[in-house]
Amino acid sequence: MVVSPSNNPVRSMAVLLALLTAALLVAGCTSGRDRPAAPTATTAAPPAELQVKLVTTARGPERGFNAKRAAKRAAPGVERFLDRYLTTAFVGAAGGKRGWDELLALFDTPVRAAARKQLDALSLGAAAPQVTAVRPKRASARAVVLYGRRPAAATVRLVFDATADTANGSEEIRLRSVLQLLATRRGWRIAAFDSRTGAPS
Amino acid sequence: MSRAGPTRRALVTMAALVLVAVLAVGAVVANSGRPAATAEAAPAIVVQRAHASAAPTLKRRIVLLTIGSDSGAPKFGRGGSAEGGRADSLQLIVLDTVRRRGLIMSFPRDSYVPIPGAGTNKINAAMAFGGPRLLIATFERLTGIPIDYYVLTSFDGLTDIVNRVGGVRVGVDMNIRDSFAGAFLNKGSQTLRGPQALAYARARKTVPGGDLARSRHQGQVLLGGLATYQRQVAKDPARVMAWLAIMRDEVKTDLPFPELLRLALFATRVPPAKIRNQVVPSVPGSAGSASVVRLLPGAYSLFARVRAGRLS
Repeated sequence: MVVSPSNNPVRSMAVLLALLTAALLVAGCTSGRDRPAAPTATTAAPPAELQVKLVTTARGPERGFNAKRAAKRAAPGVERFLDRYLTTAFVGAAGGKRGWDELLALFDTPVRAAARKQLDALSLGAAAPQVTAVRPKRASARAVVLYGRRPAAATVRLVFDATADTANGSEEIRLRSVLQLLATRRGWRIAAFDSRTGAPS
Repeated sequence: MSRAGPTRRALVTMAALVLVAVLAVGAVVANSGRPAATAEAAPAIVVQRAHASAAPTLKRRIVLLTIGSDSGAPKFGRGGSAEGGRADSLQLIVLDTVRRRGLIMSFPRDSYVPIPGAGTNKINAAMAFGGPRLLIATFERLTGIPIDYYVLTSFDGLTDIVNRVGGVRVGVDMNIRDSFAGAFLNKGSQTLRGPQALAYARARKTVPGGDLARSRHQGQVLLGGLATYQRQVAKDPARVMAWLAIMRDEVKTDLPFPELLRLALFATRVPPAKIRNQVVPSVPGSAGSASVVRLLPGAYSLFARVRAGRLS
């Protein structure tokens, strides 16, 4: 009696078993591939370079004012300030060893005490000591600068998304801020703020 | 067939064992990248979900004198400089920055008061005699309330401000048909354009209450401006810059710019309902042949209360 392999129950069972084994092994491996390996302090990627993408517009006197030129002139200063803010508040704050004095110096005196009390919404805050690195993903801002003979004040909407690494893993962080800036002899200072931080919802 | 049975059973048993083993191995492999479910596996970090906002902290009390000059308005045929004219609209605005409340004291322009170095005259003449400085000195002597800054605009200035901010919403408190001021308004809350706001702030000849009603309306226009500003800034925070740009064009002030900005930011947080609009208690009278307004004892009581820090 000639029996085709497909009709041999024993052989069929063995083939089925082999296929099942292979499938399960593959499935096991695949499920592992979906999950990123837990980063550690030693394996965390080096911090990505922070670069704020800034769109600036300018407001000035109703007559004889070249808004385009004023915006172009004001933009580099605002960009440098935002870069400094995000560096001191997030990227350079990892580890929590630098403290917050440098960040708080960016606030106008009448609002500094309020900023000191609300650091969690303005920076890494209390999480800073646990963070080994902050890798920026997106830093963008829209600024409206009040311009006289020189920049005098500005409203900035700031968006910052990043990944914060720790010894136990990583977490996405996001900052959404409205900063009201005042131009001083020492450069821009934050005169008022409305800011939110936290993981994306 | 009889020999196939045990083989099959053995194979089934073996398959089951292998299956269990493979599942176990698969589970271990699958879980190898996952931290063990212990306390160490808590969320990687706890970046706080937090919200913060703050406006500048200002000195406890700020007193502003707002002046509407009848000069410096070419569109209205009023030449000269705004500072050299007579003050048609006079409000002393007292802000309690801690309690976030305030008081607008409107002074009828014909208030008959002592002017330092110039005898007794209508208060609006003080600016014509000595500019904003003499007007401030007159107010300080009259009320005993130190004034921090003045803010001065003209008819043109007020009209332009209101037009450029897109109109201000004002609760007009009476029907007005005043052809002298060009005010034709029905009672009720409405958005006034520049010329309407100016007309409402100027109308007196056919208005019940005359000069006193006009002073109250001027305070209402200021409060309407504040409410409009707050509504616009709540929608778009960059409107602060737009308003400041307009103010820099249309008003004269001794407020240094950083203080102006801080005040503008603080102003976003003072509910208009917590700012009382009060005309200084006074009655129409005369001095010689001139029509004047005489302050009543209640005015001096009001000044004393304000000096003591009571704004309500």
